[in-house]
Parts: sequence; C-alpha cells; structure tokens
Amino acid sequence: MTGFAALVPLPVIVPLLAAGVKFALGPRMEALQRWLSAATLAAVLVVAVVLLAAADRYGPQVVRVGGWPAPLGIVLVADRLSALLLVVSSAITLCVLIYSIGQGMADDDRAGPLSVFHPTFIILMAGVANAFLAGDLFNLYVGFEILLSASYVLLTLGGTLARIRAGTTYIVVSLVSSVIFLIALGLVYAATGTLNMADLAVRLGGLSPDVRLVLQLTLLLAFGIKAAVFPLSAWLPDSYPTAPAPVTAVFAGLLTKVGVYAMIRTETLLFPGRQTATLLMVVAALTMIIGILGAIAQTDIKRLLSFTLVSHIGYMVFGIGLMSVNGLGAAVFYVAHHITVQTALFLVTGLVERRGGTASLDRMGGLARRSPLLALLFFVPAMNLAGIPPLSGFLGKLGLLRAGVAAGTPLAYVLVGAGLVTSLLTLYAVARVWNRAFWRGTPEDATAEPGSVLEARTAMSGTRIVVPSVFPRRMVGATVALVLMGLAFTVFAGPLVRYTDRAAAELLGRGTYVGAVLGGRS
Amino acid sequence: MSWANGVGTANVTLVVAVAVLVGSGVYLLLERTLTRVVLGTLLIGNGVNLLILVGGGAAGGAPILGRTPIGAMSDPLPEAMILTAIVITLGVSAFLLAVANRSWQLTGDDEVQNDYEDHRVIERAEHREADEETEADTDTDERPEEPGDQPEGAG
Amino acid sequence: MLVLLVVHVLAAVAAPLLVRGMGARAFYVLAVVPGAAVAWAAVRTPGVLAGHPAGETHEWVPAYHLYLVFRLTPLALIMVYLVAGIGALVLFYCARYFRPDEPGLGSFAGVLTAFAGAMLGLVLADDLVLMYVFWELTSVFSYLLVGHKATSGTSRRAAMQALLVTTLGGLAMLAGIVLLDHAGGTSRVSALLEHPPGGAVVPVALALILIGAVSKSALVPFHFWLPGAMAAPTPVSAYLHAAAMVKAGVFLVALLAPAYAAVAPWRAIVLTLGCVTMLLGAWRALRQHDLKLLLAYGTVSQLGFLIVLLGAGTANAAQAGAVMLVAHAMFKAALFLFVGIADTRTGTRDLRELSGLGRTAPVLATATVLAGASMAGVPPLLGFAGKESAFGAFPGDPAVLAVLVIGSALTFAYTARFLWGALARKPGVPDTPVRPIGPLFAGPTVLLALTGLATGCALPYLEPLIGAYVGAYPGHADHLALWHGLTVPLGLSALAITSGLVLFAARFRPRRLVRFTADHAYDQAMRALDRLAVHVTGFTQRGSLPVYLGVILATLVVVPGGALVATGLGRDLFAHAEPWDSPAQAVVVALMLAGAVGTVRARVRLAGVLLAGVTGYGTALLFVLHGAPDLGLTQFLSETVLTVLFVLVLRRLPRRPAPSPRRPKAAHAALGVIVGALVGGLALTMTGARHQPPVSTGLPAAAEKGGGKNIVNVTLVDVRAWDTMGEVSVLAVAATGVTSLIFLRGARRLPRLGRHKPPPGGVWATRRTAPGALRPLRPGTVARGAVRWLSAVPTLSPERRSVIFEVVTRLLFHPMIVLSLYLTFSGHNTTGGGFAGGIVAGLALLVRYLAGGRYELAETAPVGPGLLIGLGLVAATGTGLAAMIGGGPVLGSTIWHAEVPLLGEVHLVTSAFFDLGVYLIVVGLVLDILRSLGAEIDRQVGEEAA
Repeated sequence: MTGFAALVPLPVIVPLLAAGVKFALGPRMEALQRWLSAATLAAVLVVAVVLLAAADRYGPQVVRVGGWPAPLGIVLVADRLSALLLVVSSAITLCVLIYSIGQGMADDDRAGPLSVFHPTFIILMAGVANAFLAGDLFNLYVGFEILLSASYVLLTLGGTLARIRAGTTYIVVSLVSSVIFLIALGLVYAATGTLNMADLAVRLGGLSPDVRLVLQLTLLLAFGIKAAVFPLSAWLPDSYPTAPAPVTAVFAGLLTKVGVYAMIRTETLLFPGRQTATLLMVVAALTMIIGILGAIAQTDIKRLLSFTLVSHIGYMVFGIGLMSVNGLGAAVFYVAHHITVQTALFLVTGLVERRGGTASLDRMGGLARRSPLLALLFFVPAMNLAGIPPLSGFLGKLGLLRAGVAAGTPLAYVLVGAGLVTSLLTLYAVARVWNRAFWRGTPEDATAEPGSVLEARTAMSGTRIVVPSVFPRRMVGATVALVLMGLAFTVFAGPLVRYTDRAAAELLGRGTYVGAVLGGRS
Repeated sequence: MSWANGVGTANVTLVVAVAVLVGSGVYLLLERTLTRVVLGTLLIGNGVNLLILVGGGAAGGAPILGRTPIGAMSDPLPEAMILTAIVITLGVSAFLLAVANRSWQLTGDDEVQNDYEDHRVIERAEHREADEETEADTDTDERPEEPGDQPEGAG
Repeated sequence: MLVLLVVHVLAAVAAPLLVRGMGARAFYVLAVVPGAAVAWAAVRTPGVLAGHPAGETHEWVPAYHLYLVFRLTPLALIMVYLVAGIGALVLFYCARYFRPDEPGLGSFAGVLTAFAGAMLGLVLADDLVLMYVFWELTSVFSYLLVGHKATSGTSRRAAMQALLVTTLGGLAMLAGIVLLDHAGGTSRVSALLEHPPGGAVVPVALALILIGAVSKSALVPFHFWLPGAMAAPTPVSAYLHAAAMVKAGVFLVALLAPAYAAVAPWRAIVLTLGCVTMLLGAWRALRQHDLKLLLAYGTVSQLGFLIVLLGAGTANAAQAGAVMLVAHAMFKAALFLFVGIADTRTGTRDLRELSGLGRTAPVLATATVLAGASMAGVPPLLGFAGKESAFGAFPGDPAVLAVLVIGSALTFAYTARFLWGALARKPGVPDTPVRPIGPLFAGPTVLLALTGLATGCALPYLEPLIGAYVGAYPGHADHLALWHGLTVPLGLSALAITSGLVLFAARFRPRRLVRFTADHAYDQAMRALDRLAVHVTGFTQRGSLPVYLGVILATLVVVPGGALVATGLGRDLFAHAEPWDSPAQAVVVALMLAGAVGTVRARVRLAGVLLAGVTGYGTALLFVLHGAPDLGLTQFLSETVLTVLFVLVLRRLPRRPAPSPRRPKAAHAALGVIVGALVGGLALTMTGARHQPPVSTGLPAAAEKGGGKNIVNVTLVDVRAWDTMGEVSVLAVAATGVTSLIFLRGARRLPRLGRHKPPPGGVWATRRTAPGALRPLRPGTVARGAVRWLSAVPTLSPERRSVIFEVVTRLLFHPMIVLSLYLTFSGHNTTGGGFAGGIVAGLALLVRYLAGGRYELAETAPVGPGLLIGLGLVAATGTGLAAMIGGGPVLGSTIWHAEVPLLGEVHLVTSAFFDLGVYLIVVGLVLDILRSLGAEIDRQVGEEAA
C-alpha cells in the first residue's frame, strides 16, 4: 500500500475528533471554535484532493483498520468514485459552513449554532465521508446512521412547528429505510457469511441467481429511499424546505447523493450484470417526469427546488441503469455537477429569502432591479440546473443522451426522450421563478431592508430575528465560491469527464477494487 | 452443527418471533401517534436484531475463549453487529422521544400532522378555481391584442 | 476566432461598468467589438473566396466529441458580415434610442453584446454540438432581452414564450444531432457534409434537426412567438428578430441542404412549411395597425420564403436564397430601426395615428422608402434581384412557384401599406409632431438602406461571394443580374408588383382566417401543463406520513417479495430449518408474542410501553439462550433506559392518544401481517442459502492476538472498532439533539444547592402541597432532627420524600458505580464492556435523581454531559489517531506489559482507552437525558404550575 493509504481514515476521524473537542468546550471560545470548524473541513478537503490524485494514479487506496486483514476486519477504500465524491462534498460542506457562520453572526443568533449546529454539522460530514469510504457493508450502514442522526438534529434545529412536523416525517421514513438496510444486511450475512464488499463480490457469485436477485432488490429498495427515487421520494419535498437555509442546502446537495453512491457501488461491485437494468430505467423515467411536474406545481422556491432535486436524481439512475462505461461515467459526472449546483441554488435562495422577506413566489418580486448581484447568482446556477449549454448541467445531460443513444434499446430511447422533456420543464420551472421573483414588479410588502424582521424559516434557531444586514460578506462569498465551482466544472469538463469515465471503467471492471482489498498489495 | 461449518440452518422459533415483532411493529408504525410509532420502530428493531442472529446460525456457548470450546460457540460477528444496532436504536429513539415531547409542547399532542403545502396543491387539484392561480403563473392573461375586423379609421 | 468570442465576452462583462460610467454613450464603445469582427471578416474574405476557409480547433470535452472548432466557410462569411455588421449598427443606434435613465440599461448592454458574440460563434462553429451550444445561448439571451421591460406582464410572457418554444425545438435538434453523431461517428459539420452517413436513423435525425431550425426561424407551426417577441425594445427586434437570431434556422438549413436536401423527409418538410409560412405571414401582416407587428409578420413571411429557397437543394434556389438572405437582413433591420425612431420621436407606431412623417423627416423617409422598395422587390434594389432569381429557380415546380408569386404580391401590398401608413399625410389626421432626430440616430437606417441599393447595383461584386457558397451544390447557378432580358421571371415580378399595387389601392384588408391562433394553442398547452402538474402532484404528494410509509412497505412487498415468489425460492422455506435450539426459546417467544399483540392493542400509552418492554426483555432472554450474554446484558440495559425515557416523556402526554378519525385498521393490519411474513420468509430462505463458513471463523485467533478472551468485546473495541466509533458518535449526536430540543435557546445548567432557590412547594410539588411547605435550608447545614442520606433531598416537596428509598439509593449508588467500572475494564475478557458499564453508571445517576430530584442530580454529577461526551469522543478517536501517529494502522491496538509490585505482571491493552471513551459517552448520554427530559421538564412543569 502506498503511503497515501494512511490518509484514508482522516476524513472521518478528524471531524469526529474536532466534534469531540467542541462538545467538551460547549458554547465557550466562539472565535476559536468557528476557526476550528472551518479548519477541520478545510483539512478534509485537502486530504480528499490528495486521495483523489493517489487513487487515480496508483489505483484504489485501501487501509485495513486496526491492521486486521480483510475480510475479517474493516477496510476503508478510496477508489476514483469515492475520492471524487469526497472532494466535491467536502468542498461544498466547507462553503456551506462559512455561509452558516456568516448567517449565524449576521443574525447574532448564537443560541443553537456553536454548541449544536457546528459539531453536528461536522459529524454529518464525517458520516458522509464514512459512507463514501466504507469497504464493508455494515460499516456503510454505520456511516449512513452517523449522517442520518446528524441530519435529524439539523433538520429540527430550533424546534419550530414546521420543523418538528417535517422532521417527524423525515426521521421516521429514514428509520424505515435504515431498518430495510439492516434487514438486507442480515440476509446478506445469512447467505454469504461475510460483509466485506470485495469478499461479497466473490462470494455472491457462488449463490444462485435467484437468491442474488432478492438480495439485490432489497438493498436497492433501502438505497432507493435514501436517494429519493419515485415512488419512494414523496418524503423529501415535505422535509427539506423547512430547515435553516444552510442545512437545506447541504441536505439537498449531499444526502440523496450518498444514496445514489450506495446504489452505484452495490450495483457495480456486488451485483454485476443487467438483471435490474430495466427496473432502474423505468424508475428513472418516472422519477424525472413526476418530479419535475411536482416542481411546476409549487409556489415556494425552496419546495420547487426540492422537486427538481428529486427529478434530477432520475438522470443519475438512468446512467446507472445503462450499465455502460459511458452511461455510468456520465452519471458520476452528473452527481458531481448536481451536488454543487443544487447546493449553490439553495444558498442563493437563502439570500433571496433575506432580501425578499419570503420564499413564496406569490409574494416577492423586483429582485433583479434591487439586487443585480443576487440576480446573477441565481440565474447562472438556475440555467446550469436547466442544462443550458455550455454549463456543466448540459454536459452531463449530453453524456447521458450519447450513452442512451449508444445503448440503442427502445427503452433507452424512451429515457432519452424523458430526459429532454425533463430538461425543458426544468427550464420552465426556473424561468418562472425568474419571471416572478426577479422581474415582476415588487409587491410593496415583499422587501427586506436591514433592520426588518425576517420570517422564521431561514433562521438557525427558528425564532423571528431582526436582520442587521441583508447580505453578510461571508454568506455572499460562500455562495459566489459555489457558483464559480459550478462554472469550473464547465471549463475543466474535458479532464473531469475523462476522470469520471476512468472511474466508471474501474467500477465495471471490479477486478482492481477486489484485488486491492483482498489480494495483491498490502 | 457448529457455526463454523458452511451449512446454514434457520431456527423456526426465532423466525416466528422475527415475523411477529416486525409485523406488529409495522402496524404501530402506520399510526399517527408519534410515541406509538416509536414503539413500532423498537419492535421492528428487536425483530431485525433477531433476524441477524438467525442468520448467524445455530445457538452455542458464549463466544468467550476459555469458557467455550471454539467449535461450540455461537457466531460472535453477528452479535457484535447487533450490539452496534441496539445502541444506535437507543440513541435515535431517545431523540425521537424528545421530538414527541417538543411536538406536545407545540400542539398539545404527539399526533403526526399532514404537510400543509401538499394540501394546498391537493386542494388546487380538486377545485377548478385553482386554474386562475396556475394561469397567472405563466402570465398568459396578458397577450398582445389581435386587431379586430372593424374597418380602418383613416383612409 | 476564439479571440473574437473572448473579446465579446469581455466587452459584455465590462458593459455594465461602462454604462454606469458614461451612460448610453457606452454603446458607441461596445459597437466597436462587432465592428472589429467585420474588419476581421473583410481581411479574411480574399482567402475564403480563393477556397481557403480559415479554421481553428481547441479541445474541450473530447470524450463527447466536443471541440471548440471554428471554420470560416463562404456561407459563414456571409453570415458574419450580416450578424456582426448589423450588430455594430444596432449597438451604435442604441446609444440614441435609450434614455440615459433607462432602468437596467447596464445589464441590457451586457446581454446584447454577449448575444452578438453567441451569434458569431453560432455561424462560425464547424461542429453541430458546438453550434447547439451557441444556439441555446442565443435563446437564453433573447429571453433576457425580450423581457427587458420586466415589469410589463406582456414582456414577461413573450420572453417566456420565446424561450420555451425555441428551447423545445432546440432540444429536439440536440437529439437529432446526437443521433446523427452516432450514425456518422462525428458531429463535425465539414465531415458530415463530405461523407453524409446513411442508415434508417438519418431521416429521423434530420427531421428532429429541422424541428429546431423551424422553431428558431418562427415557421408554422412555431411562428407565433416572433410577433409576441415584439414586446422587446426595437433595437432588439431589429437585431434578433430580423437580422440575426431568426436567421439561425435558415442558416442551419442552408448549411445542411447541399448534402441532405435529397434525403426523404427534408424537401417535404421544408417546402410545405416554408410556403405555408410565407403566405400566412404576409396575410396577417396586412391586418396589422402596429407598424412593428406588421414588420414582424412580414419577417415571418420572409423567413418562410428564405427556407423554401435555401432548403430546396438546387444551385439556383440556393443562389436566390443567399441573395434574399442578405437583402432581407438589410432592409428589415433598416425598417425596424426606422420604426424605433418613429416610436421614440412621435410616441406612437400605430399607422392610423402617424401622419406626414414623409415631409417632416425627408431624409429618413427616403431611406425608409428605399428599404421598403427592396422588401417589395422593386428594381434596381437587391430584393428585386433576389426575387428575380427565385422566380427562375423553380421551373419544374409550378405549385411552389405560384406560392412565391402570390407571396411576393402580398409582400408588395403590405410594404406599400407600411410606407403609406408610416410616411404619408392622411386626410383628417393632423401631422404627427416629431421631436428632432439627430444624424447619429438616423445614420444606421440610412446606411443600411443605401447598402441595399448599392449591392443591388453592384451585383457583380456580390456574385463571387454568393457563388462560393452555391458552389457546394451540384450543378451551377445562372448568372446573377438585374436584367436578364424579357424572361418569365421578369414577367412574374411584374405580375407580383402590379397585383400588389392593386391590392393596396383597393385597401385590401383580409378577414381573420381562424379565430383560434397558434398563440391560443400555446396558452392552452401551458394551462394544460400546469393542470397536469397540479393533478399529478396532488395525487403522488399526499403529505401524510402513514401513506408514505405504506408506499415504501408496499414496495418492499412487491419488489423483493415479488422476486421471492416469482423465482420460486419461497416454495420450500423449511428445507434448511429446525424447530428450535432449546424448548425454552419457544416459551420465551410465546411470551413475546403476547407482549407484541398487547402493545398493538393497548390504547393507554403507558400500557403499550410496558408491554413493548416485555418483548424487549424477551429479546434479551433469547440472546442469552442463543449464547450471547453480552447481547443479553446490553439489550436488558438499553431496554431499561428506554422504558425510563418513555415514562419521563409520557408523564406530560395525554394518557391515551386522541382517536384519529382516518385510520384504516384492517389495511394496516394486513400490511403488517404480509411484511412480517415476508421478512420471516426471507430469513428462512437466505439462512438456507448459506454454503460457506463465515469470515468470523478468524475471530477467535484475532481475540488471542487482541489480548482478550471475550471475542465479541474484542471485535467491538478492536477488530471492528471503526463501527463502534461511528456508533458512539451517533449517541453523541443524539444527546446533542435531545438537548437542542429541550433547551431551545442554549443549554441551562442544573440548579445547584445554595445558588438556586428551590420552588416554594419543593421539587415535584403537587396541588396538595401547601405553599411554603419547604423549610428554608442553608447549604451544607444538616436539617435538625433528620439524618440526610442524600444532600439535596430537602429540596423535594415533603410528600415526595421516602426515607427507605433514600437509604437504598445511598447504599446502592457507589456499588453501582464500582460495578460499572468493573464491567468496563473486565469486558475485554468476560461479559461486559464500555457500553454496559456506561449504562449501569447512568442508571446509578437515575436512581439518585428519582430519589432526590434535580438538585440531587446536580450534586451527584456536577459536570455537564457535554464535557463527558466530548471527552469520550476525543478518547475514542484519539486512540485511533494515536495509533496512526505511532506509525501503526488507525485504531491499531498494542499491549503494554509491566511489572507492578504486589500486583505482579499486569498487561494493558490500548483498546481499553477506546472502551473508556465509549463508557464516558454513554454516561454522558444518560446524564443528558436525565438533565433535559428529566430535570428541565420538572422545572417547566413547576413553572406552569406556579
């Protein structure tokens, strides 16, 4: 194993350590703690970048926790896919943290944030990282539980009625998905006697195809709920929008993608072959269309965006369903793109809410004139989401279309059509937001100037708060950073697509992963 | 008959327990009272833990070196996983109960309520007058007028 | 050429700043940018005519055949002249058109410049995908430009309409491009023209691409967006909707026609739609009063004309088309610019109100007449030349020819109507007052009109450029000239002009053909879409948690369950099963069944909890019977904590839940039964499927190595310590969450003796408690007469005190703490471990709290749970990191041996620190629960009572 492999555990263990320190400190030493949180996530980002380079150059980076050999002990694996997602998610988490620091300070809203929000948020990152790096199915479950429990706390922050209601739905649904995952785990162990994924890749081969299919479907169901694919998606738009803006942003960007990641990992590593391809494609089409129709039916920006989120999960599932290098590569590219753009949009919405005093399209307007910067910050990612060229959303879509056409099956053509329709309707949805919130004349009540009272919804602690300044520097800065990151995906699309295609090839190849974990280098 | 050989044998009695716990848990889960929902998750949790135990193979002696000969032990790995699962369930349930308490503070009950925004959409779907609202979204009410057929003023 | 585009982008970015600095005059500066493009084209022209098209390639996304590849073909050159030339003039014109205080002028200037760049890229791109990129960009920019008057609903609607219609076509076109790319193995235009791919998919691809062209160039059935887009400021209409953007479709057709016009659906689509559009546009143009709308419909008609010519696929038609393309760009832009002037300087563009402009603004009027004449096809202007050759281009196709002639006649008629309406002095209408028109403002119009005249007379100079493009077609085109002698085309021109004159003289105003226009169709489509969205969402998004869970569980039954049945795995479930390991299991399970059923039936909350407890403790027993004492212990302890938790919460909730009306019990019960059976079945099947020994066979050896005897514990703190680390962080988060929900605005410290005065009635006072029943107590002093077993117990309200309980607590507490530590440290070798230990310690605290209330809790545990949890997490993760820093693997454990006097040889495993961390976190969790759900709620209850 190369020296880099030693770094693999850090993205999980460092945040946990930092969180421990913060718990111990409680609300003391604010400045230090803010610095600590940011530094932690920055460190994770750096490690992730190094791992990405290493995984791409030397193949999957494997570390055997406690030195116990696989499959007995737990292994953490950073292959191309994990490393890429780790980089993207740590980057956006850092931005969101800075944004939230800005918001917390601007609203002078110190009750929750330091002693609750920061440590929980950092642990959320640890959980996400653990899920991406887990080389053991049960450890993947633990990773999920970490990020989920953190998300429960973040979603109910402040304990307002709306958040408690939304939180209940979210928590119970997540619990059920976790239970199903746990059932699947029990069954997998019962049938194979192992939980190490590389080992499973080998052992599952020895089982009858029927048994394999049942196990695969059970796992797919568990991940399908987390990834919010139709018909398992209805919980999402009910729960995300009520949370504080930074929380919604990071949830929308990351959490569903962890589910998608788990799907990709298990579908490629544990259950190669096309036995579920048709199912995935059908589900993908339904998710796209029904999701985007949901977006069109909304009058609240946050809910509208939540529905587009569901809808675009369909694109990724489409790519997985194709089971080809191009398809999978495009899907991975789309995941990376979507994490960024979706998070950016929700952060902007947070600013819109501060400026417009509401998130309801019925009650806001005139933002384009009153704040051109805000308009620009919304318009670019919105067009990116709608897949307008030359932005990364278009490139991801193009990749999927090409892969679909290359597959050439009737179903694939149907999916191509569905993808195009979805992108048109997405454009309609976001353009409508633009027409009403940014262009239409200002309804006199819908304007927040410094000093005005903000609706409870964005605030960390759910109470109504007076806004000293509408656009704190940190908040705007973080948002700008994310929008630029989205643009970077466009500019450097060439190398990035090459990378994601390599990642896809590695996934479909399986050999390198299994070899790195079980056999060869140690 | 030891856990270490390759043949899996399921304990029907335990499986029955699994089925019943999960079944009754599901029933509770579908109720609207949060505390009962929590009970449901606990029942299902226990059921699933037993399922993992079943998957580990037949019963045996405690997996403690020196107390039980290795051949006669029960499979320790599922036990470790179950232990982790138990602890996680404990933590999450504690939090859910705090949520229930909060919901009592806010509403005087721990009833799980429906989503408000969804209901607005459902109502729009059910009532025609909702059309006006949706039309307004596309600004279709304002169209450049088409000149009528009346003869020209000038000329 | 990339440089040109970059310059445009930079200019676009700088535009808002320029406008802020120098107001509308900034447009003079911006006009230089497209001007530069013209100059560049002029320099390149000789080379292109000599047959050396300039080109350049940069890599972008090779994997998707996506290169920044540009090529200056003759056709591209023509387009560059039009796009950049007219672009420069329009920008120049904007400087006078807009008032300096125009809102949003900065961003407008930026977008307009950006649009010019996108248009340039579109015509230069030598790759269909790249062309699509610019194609969509023009759509988006036009959206922003059309919506410039943002506060007017009409503009917003028009902008949205244009965006959706053109994007709809664009996406179809994208699909076509991808198909063509797949068929031909490349999306490079030059390659696709040289070697057109064959195959069944090509016609489909072409049809899709044509949809894009047709929608962009506003042909029937997509024509309606163009008149709507007249809501834009007039310079935008002149540029986007006359000269540039709407030509994109025409350009694409002209580009592909040489190679693909012969392929099946092409001619049919192009000729039909073209002809229909030409007539319909002209027809409706004759009905307009608004000069701008009149021009708009005229444009629609002309676009149809152009598509017919350039799509036909013959050299002659193409030549005619190219000439008309140039001519139309110039005269239509000129006319629009004139309308803009008239509009801003007179305040109206209604031809019924305008009067006498011919006299008051002679120069401008002359220019306008010139431009109009070109549009009407009057010699010696370029428009005439175009029509002449058009009439000569369809000898074998009388139907098309007839349409062209009729179309031209109508065109003449509406042109005449336009000129008369705009310039003539009308009887009974006073001369419209005109504010002064500066030469800079009129300049572009005049220039364009004169160019129309000049090129008309200077055809020979234009011919080589046109010819270079036409050369791409099979066969050669006739000579371009104004005068071919007395030919059929000449006759037809004469016919068209005369009949046009007649129509105008007769003041022909056609009736409305149909009441239901495509625009209405658009409205209804959008409305239908919104309705559909609302209905589907209303159906799928019920907002009810039980429904969501029901769907999920139903999916579980249908998908994996269905597979279980379908594959026939479910048939012999009991193949590898045995009734039980010991009959005792059956007894316990029977008890648990009773408990489960009871829980379901219990309506009183507490009863439900206790009955559920039965199943919980039953599970613990089953664990023990299975040979898993650690599990048994853990399950027993956590079940206890949970029960306490429930009681703490339930004491405030109503005794029985409110009976909720909507509860289909039967359905829920059925689902429960099915899911339970399914999970049982799955368990049987999968256990039976095992045919390999588990990996855990390696654990005993590992335990030896890990220096412990209790394999489960070694697994937890060493082999799979990573899982445990995650597990305890879940506990930590959960504890934080509980705090955050109970103490909403930051955690409050527990009340301490002496510092915080207990409530008058004492802790846990009831209604019967006499106020002031509590004897005032000074900290530290022993109340006279009573031995105090617990220090804070006097804070309890008298009737809550129970001496026996206090004594028992006193006696139990310390042994329990000792036991907890023993469990923690002996766990490595025998049943126990940090978790069990932690909970025992927590229970000890619980007993103190129950016996002595919250003050007692504070006295017992003066540290906050946050500190315990924090330290625990630091210990657990620290052990891991320390091992790494020590050069070992993360969480790797080492064993220290040491000789201690008296004790003899002791050995310490580093994983013990890890387990200590677990212990601390668990204690922290329980303490946190007691503090929040216990003490804090006590306080709140007290306050509510007081």
